[in-house]
Amino acid sequence: MFENLKSTLEGYIHYRGRGHTAFLLHRISGLATFIFLTMHIATTSTVFLAPSWYELLIRIFRNPLVMLAEIMMAFFVVYHGVNGFRIAYNDIFKHKLWAKASTRRALVYVFVTAFILWLPAVGIMGYNLLKSGLGLFGGE
Amino acid sequence: MSAEINSTHIPKKFETISWKWMRLSAFLLIPLVWFHSILQALITGGHNLSLEYIQSRWLFTGWRIYDIFLLAFAFSHGIAGLRQVLFDFIQSEKKRKITNWVLLAIWCCIITIGAIAIIGGVRMPG
Repeated sequence: MFENLKSTLEGYIHYRGRGHTAFLLHRISGLATFIFLTMHIATTSTVFLAPSWYELLIRIFRNPLVMLAEIMMAFFVVYHGVNGFRIAYNDIFKHKLWAKASTRRALVYVFVTAFILWLPAVGIMGYNLLKSGLGLFGGE
Repeated sequence: MSAEINSTHIPKKFETISWKWMRLSAFLLIPLVWFHSILQALITGGHNLSLEYIQSRWLFTGWRIYDIFLLAFAFSHGIAGLRQVLFDFIQSEKKRKITNWVLLAIWCCIITIGAIAIIGGVRMPG
């Protein structure tokens, strides 16, 4: 049991290039998204199950730290989607793209695309954070 | 060589179906989650959420159907993904069995409360 755990963790830690970063980011972002999604479903379901709780939860959602966490979450979701598309596309349609050189090239596009697609979230959610979270730009 | 790889017989077991499910649901989830996030997080904004907003949104049955799809596909994809990650750490057959049952219980629980809320709609307090 512990031998297996040790070898799995060692596999995580020993850096083996760009693909390793992509793999780790995919797992971390997937896990973060899963935790977010579970909380998101549970909190939203209070609109029917316990509506008075929802009004309390809304106040928590408007906390600047929660709004900042949401911006980070947006990167995880965007990255998981972009890299996940690469994985699914390669596995279902083009096995050849799994070759080392193609993967290394594709990963640059994945990182850059995920970053660019994240920027609108940084801009708009960041503006909302400063305005309604921190009261700048005439917000309350 | 490549012919050999192509002719490899892959049995249609649970793991094969799960593998395919992750990829196919990913293709569906990308537009679903994308549009949901742009509408809710960027256009509406999380700070503008309220019971009234959700109520007006769910007046249109199409949104409820959309949300049911999102709930079912996203959470099932998440549970199957978590199972894959956990199985990297859990190797004994017995412990994997326990993991499966725990994940199934979480899946049932979350899908049920989510579906109840989407179908039941917003209950205004007071």
